[in-house]
Amino acid sequence: MEQKNWYDKNYKWLLLIPIILVLFSLIYMGIFYSKNQDFIYKDISLTGGTSVTIFGKINILDLEQALSEKLEEVNTREIYDLITREQKAVIIEIKTEGCNELEVKQTKTILEDYLGYELVEGDNASFECTGSSLSESFYKQLLIAILFAFFFMAIVVFIIFRTFVPSTAVIISAFADILMTLVIVNIFGMKMSSAGIVAFLMLIGYSVDTDILLTTRILKRQEGLLNERIVGAFKTGITMTLTSLLAIVIALFVVKSFSPVLTQIFTILSIGLGFDILNTWITNTSILKWYMEKKK
Amino acid sequence: MVYGEEEMKKLTWKIWLLIIILAFSLLSIFSLPPTFLEKGVLITSVETNSTAFEQGLRQGQIITNIDNTPIENLEGFSNALKEKFNSNENIKLIIQTRNSEAILFSNHVPNITVVEIPKTNIKTGLDLAGGSRAMVQAEDKKLSSVEMDDLVDITRNRFDEFGLSDINVLRVSDLTGNHFMLVEVAGATRTDLKVLISEQGKFEAKIGNETVFIGGERDIASVARSGQDSYVGKPSQLQDGTYTATFRFTIFLSEEAAKRHAEITKDLEVNVTAQGSYLSENLDLFLDDNLVDTLLIGEGLKGRITTQISISGPGSGTTSNEAYEDASNSMHKLQTVLITGSLPYKLEIVKLDTISPVLGKEFIKSIFLAGLAALLMVAIIIFARYKKFKSSMALLITSVSEIIIILGIASFIKWNLDLPSIAGIIATIGTGIDQQIIILDEARQNISLSIKQKLKRAFTIILGAYFTAVVALIPLLWAGAGLLKGFAVTTLIGITAGVLITRPAFADMVKRIEE
Repeated sequence: MEQKNWYDKNYKWLLLIPIILVLFSLIYMGIFYSKNQDFIYKDISLTGGTSVTIFGKINILDLEQALSEKLEEVNTREIYDLITREQKAVIIEIKTEGCNELEVKQTKTILEDYLGYELVEGDNASFECTGSSLSESFYKQLLIAILFAFFFMAIVVFIIFRTFVPSTAVIISAFADILMTLVIVNIFGMKMSSAGIVAFLMLIGYSVDTDILLTTRILKRQEGLLNERIVGAFKTGITMTLTSLLAIVIALFVVKSFSPVLTQIFTILSIGLGFDILNTWITNTSILKWYMEKKK
Repeated sequence: MVYGEEEMKKLTWKIWLLIIILAFSLLSIFSLPPTFLEKGVLITSVETNSTAFEQGLRQGQIITNIDNTPIENLEGFSNALKEKFNSNENIKLIIQTRNSEAILFSNHVPNITVVEIPKTNIKTGLDLAGGSRAMVQAEDKKLSSVEMDDLVDITRNRFDEFGLSDINVLRVSDLTGNHFMLVEVAGATRTDLKVLISEQGKFEAKIGNETVFIGGERDIASVARSGQDSYVGKPSQLQDGTYTATFRFTIFLSEEAAKRHAEITKDLEVNVTAQGSYLSENLDLFLDDNLVDTLLIGEGLKGRITTQISISGPGSGTTSNEAYEDASNSMHKLQTVLITGSLPYKLEIVKLDTISPVLGKEFIKSIFLAGLAALLMVAIIIFARYKKFKSSMALLITSVSEIIIILGIASFIKWNLDLPSIAGIIATIGTGIDQQIIILDEARQNISLSIKQKLKRAFTIILGAYFTAVVALIPLLWAGAGLLKGFAVTTLIGITAGVLITRPAFADMVKRIEE
């Protein structure tokens, strides 16, 4: 009983936590944007460039050093066997302008000079090149896709609940999830790929699930006290989020060895799901409780 | 399925529906009889104009025997051919496919590419299976969708002329109304692809500054492709040791082009030389603004409507064979351009991926491992939370059947599973498990409602979540020219199958367990 009383007294104050975090995030993003003229650090899939995967054992530190003398913005990554930890391949990301034959050949020659053997595209090496103008338009479109996705989601939420405050609470907590995750991603200095942006889209879906559960249980059900309904929703919701989170973290350990793309998706999702616990059970719940108490 | 044999007849139609859809999915993944039991190698491409092609070998056939030795796999295939073509002599080779037999006499390995017979009908995307992909736009020009369709047609024709099969050429558009030509070659990669796409293939035949004819059907009535009107001469050695060969073929101009030729030549002067009498200007042939051939025009053609023109050009190489090949390639290229016509703009490759198939297989293994580990984790949590073996098993079975259904539908619609698609499957399983937890919890609620009403409430929440997910995915079908479409497609398949088939079946399973 005592705990419940504490909650009834302080649930409004709990809102301060997300408010402070959102304010901090907004300020951080404001500064970030004015510094970088962008919302994220982009990798070559969004700026344009060439990603070369070379099979075999290659010392990446030596390689990176040797290449950075000749090329601007070089990034290397390892692909290794999950169990034996043996290196299988390296991925080298190089910022390049276009994808015509000359430019690809240039990159290839520099790599071949270092390695001392011929690289055959599609055989002992993979080349993936994206022109910078195309990447720029990709990036813009993905941002538009996220905006539309968010907007459509908001409309559906309004159609489902048909009341202003509860619907807005769902949308606010989904927005806070995305914003806070974005800040962490930027603080880590993670370079975002197109797949990373898709992860944010996944995040919209995951975060709204628990919010819809909570709002339905609280708004549309009559049985039990308000707090009982909140606790009931919490039990279900936290099981959902924790199951997803743990499954994703486990999968993250596995994919880390071989797929930078999936690694990034899973990293962003686990950060986002972590914030979703905060935003569903503090942000959204407190606003809803406030709204319900006032309605009484 | 969860209840054991004696209770089978009590299964509700929703569970039966799940079982039937599952059976269909498995059928669509593995075929009947299952392809993983078949032996042999699958032909993925046959070079046109090769002996193998002439003898009837085609893409899609399965080679079962070579010289009466059964071929079980790729290794067997290369073993059977190994050391057969050491000398330059013609060798007889009997290749048996499942329904036919081809006998080849040749001095080299047949011009075909083969792969192991795929174990399932699941097709993996370029980023896993390997291959090349190029996205092409016009340089400095925004093409309309009609112009882009023309480009796609011309490019397809060119690939056909070059004998490259198994190539996918299509128009893709993005959110902002840009059109691209997407060229995809699965499996084995081809270096000439890049050259072939990026070449504008602009052909012009000029006398002085005036264009007499260009490639394409308006000016060219026909192009000789074989026989004595189209050939490469015997290579000869030059003083510096290298070889040179000359190709020659005849083209027939349309009447319009022939009249133009007459119009332009009628005012030219005639020069009399020791070799004969020729007009003062030559007929210059340009390919992509490079001069490939200059023809002297005989006096007799002055002002005449002539439809037949003989074109020649050189090839060179360090060996006799190389020179021959070079000349033959140049001829083929020129013929292709003359037949298919040239493009009125330059092309720019905006994206080019050439991916080796080396990592793909390992990747698929690892992804299975990741999925398995994640599912196991889910099972442990669910069991810890509900302490009910039957419910936890039902949840796991439902999730696994969801994966099977997605893969089944993907093989049925021949969707290529690429990395984004796999991310989509993972997303689906995640939301699927979330929604099953909602069903479980709603069913367990301690209130005086019938289980049916409780489950109905669960579905209001699930449908809400479903619709938000669907609308959030729709923009991704177009953004970025569809390169991330796979994510949206598999997720949409997965969550829709979830809401229509697996979730109702799971609810029925829970109903029985709870009752």
